[in-house]
Amino acid sequence: MYDTGTLLQIIFWGLYAGCIYILLATGLNLIFGVMKIVNFAHGEFLMIGAYITATVFFLTGFNPYAIILVSMLALVGIGAVVERLCFRPILGTSKLNEIFLSIGLIYIFTNSAAMIWGDEWQSIKSPYAGISVPIGSLNVPLDYIIIIITTSVILCGLYVFLRKTKTGREMRATSQNRKGAMLVGINVERMDILSFGIGCALAAAAGTLWVVSGQVFNPYMGSIPAVKAFAIIILGGLGSIPGAIIGGLIYGIAENGAAYFLGGVWKDAISFIILIVVLVLRPTGLFGEESE
Amino acid sequence: MKYTVLFLALVLTAAFFAGCTQQAQAPSQPKEIKIGAIVSMTGPNSNIGKNMWQSATLAADEINANGGIFVKQYNAKIPIKLVQGDDESTREGGQKAVTKLITDDKVDMLIGGYSSAVTSAYEQTVAEFKVPYVVTGASSPIITHRTDIDTSYVFHHCPTTDAYGMYTTNFIDQVIRPAVNKKFNFPADRPFRLALLYQDTGFGIGVKTAVNDTITKNNLNIQLVSQQSFKMGESDFRTVLTNIKATNPDAVYLAAAPNEGAQIIPQARRDVGLNTIFLNVENNDAPEFYKGIGQYGEYAIIESRFSPYVSPKGAMEGPQDAFKSKYYAKYGSYPDMMGASTYDGTYIAAKAIENAGTLNKADIRQGLVTLNMPEVIEHMKDDTISFSKDYRESQFDLWMEQLYYNATIGETRPTIVWPDIIKTTDFVLPDWYKPGSA
Repeated sequence: MYDTGTLLQIIFWGLYAGCIYILLATGLNLIFGVMKIVNFAHGEFLMIGAYITATVFFLTGFNPYAIILVSMLALVGIGAVVERLCFRPILGTSKLNEIFLSIGLIYIFTNSAAMIWGDEWQSIKSPYAGISVPIGSLNVPLDYIIIIITTSVILCGLYVFLRKTKTGREMRATSQNRKGAMLVGINVERMDILSFGIGCALAAAAGTLWVVSGQVFNPYMGSIPAVKAFAIIILGGLGSIPGAIIGGLIYGIAENGAAYFLGGVWKDAISFIILIVVLVLRPTGLFGEESE
Repeated sequence: MKYTVLFLALVLTAAFFAGCTQQAQAPSQPKEIKIGAIVSMTGPNSNIGKNMWQSATLAADEINANGGIFVKQYNAKIPIKLVQGDDESTREGGQKAVTKLITDDKVDMLIGGYSSAVTSAYEQTVAEFKVPYVVTGASSPIITHRTDIDTSYVFHHCPTTDAYGMYTTNFIDQVIRPAVNKKFNFPADRPFRLALLYQDTGFGIGVKTAVNDTITKNNLNIQLVSQQSFKMGESDFRTVLTNIKATNPDAVYLAAAPNEGAQIIPQARRDVGLNTIFLNVENNDAPEFYKGIGQYGEYAIIESRFSPYVSPKGAMEGPQDAFKSKYYAKYGSYPDMMGASTYDGTYIAAKAIENAGTLNKADIRQGLVTLNMPEVIEHMKDDTISFSKDYRESQFDLWMEQLYYNATIGETRPTIVWPDIIKTTDFVLPDWYKPGSA
């Protein structure tokens, strides 16, 4: 009844969408894992990453894929400042403080972005726009292949950092047991600032890939991706990086499958239906543990 | 006793003359006439809201340059003071803004309103305080058709989704369908395969309903092969477009906002390979849409009533060009059609107050009911602005544009292709166009 080529195409669109979700959710989960804070303003870091990429692109004309590094580095710095000035003073206090602080940050970031860049919708054109690559029965835009590869490279880099470097191991230790990490001499405040910076950099990478795929952006773009990123980390398990990756892929493919089989209005709803089903069956999420 | 009676008589006499003096005193002339403009200065619709506010300001400045509005009751011209009410692009923000305008600022009347959902949400307050309101942006007919509240003080100066759908469907039937049949040697009775992709809001559903009703009512030879919806603010349309492509349409009609339409067309042509004619609703005739679609927008169609980049030949060409020049000179950008209707709306407000001859709100409402003024910058039926007796809607003359790519500026620009009386070029089917098949 359904054409195989069309179904493969839908899965491919799902993989592409999943890449943006994975980067955003992985960053959010990294921050939550280490600091145990809820940051609703995480989508705004995606927005700032998108604007930095676009601004550098307009000023220099460089390949926007190369600008991803600039965008990520800038967000490491911005993230570090936000962690130091906003989240560190309230760390360990009521969750309500974190929630209202991050809601306040949403307004500050969106209004600042509107003041700096204006609030008109903007877009940039990738140098590879219009180039398609035949893969089997599919004709796939080159940009989306690059986006999938770029996401994979970033995730591999993150894996190597967390598993093979001393700082990465210290970060994981802080995530697993903060007090224990302090007792063995790990500077957990350094881990906080580092994890927050890396989490923001991953959001910036998602923002860059968002704009190079040709999607429009404006200062208010961050809220919907942030809500989805939260749903993904709850689905995958709070604090679990593999959970964020699998959750992002599930959401990307499920959303596009729902749009195809049920219609576009079901696209957002299906994500939350899956979330409810998973939480009913496994309250800690797919990869979450009881202690988390 | 004698003195007491005398004293009381004096007091009563003084009170009598004081009363007479008070009765004889004319109401003091206000320094300004306050017109509240409900616009989205912040939030996702701020781009359009700023355009509306700036256009209203331009019109108010022009009116004030001539001394203001003549009000018979005071036998004087009184300048306008525009008071901004930012609806923040939300229902709650709209409610807050309109309440402040009416109760704190005490405006004499209201203009503006963009989102139908936001406008509908605060209409109850307008009805309660009976403030005359000229809606210049919200396109849903429900604004003046609803019966759950008293909408008698609300007047609609903006084409409704009924008009969008009707004009575009008739254009498809009269122009695109014969062109496709001719180019591909199809029999004249071949049904035209139309797909609809609409925003899942009152606006999108309104367009969908109008298309279906027009086909049924006029018995048109158009088959709706797909009717897909999407959530407002969506940015990834590839899957839904893949679905539409599978139905082999001859054309796709989009009921979307500029930020959505500007993504749908490139994603359809570049990513999904859906090389067909895309028809767009008039709100897309805005600079941001042209900027967003780039070359992929070539040969697309927009139903319109005011374009930043083209003016219809005839009586309105001069006024539209003058408005665009003045707007560009003041703000450094081009106005969109919501700005144009709000510019019109400010002149309508001025004329209604002048007709009323007072600042009494019931009289101003009556001034709107009996309004019959020459068109300002938008093409109106019979070249006149007046409101229908049933739903207080003004009647616009719409047209269809086709877009052509201009390599020098890297964007498409429109030419008017329908109706014949104002068209500058004929509708063209591009070489890459692929017709649908059953």
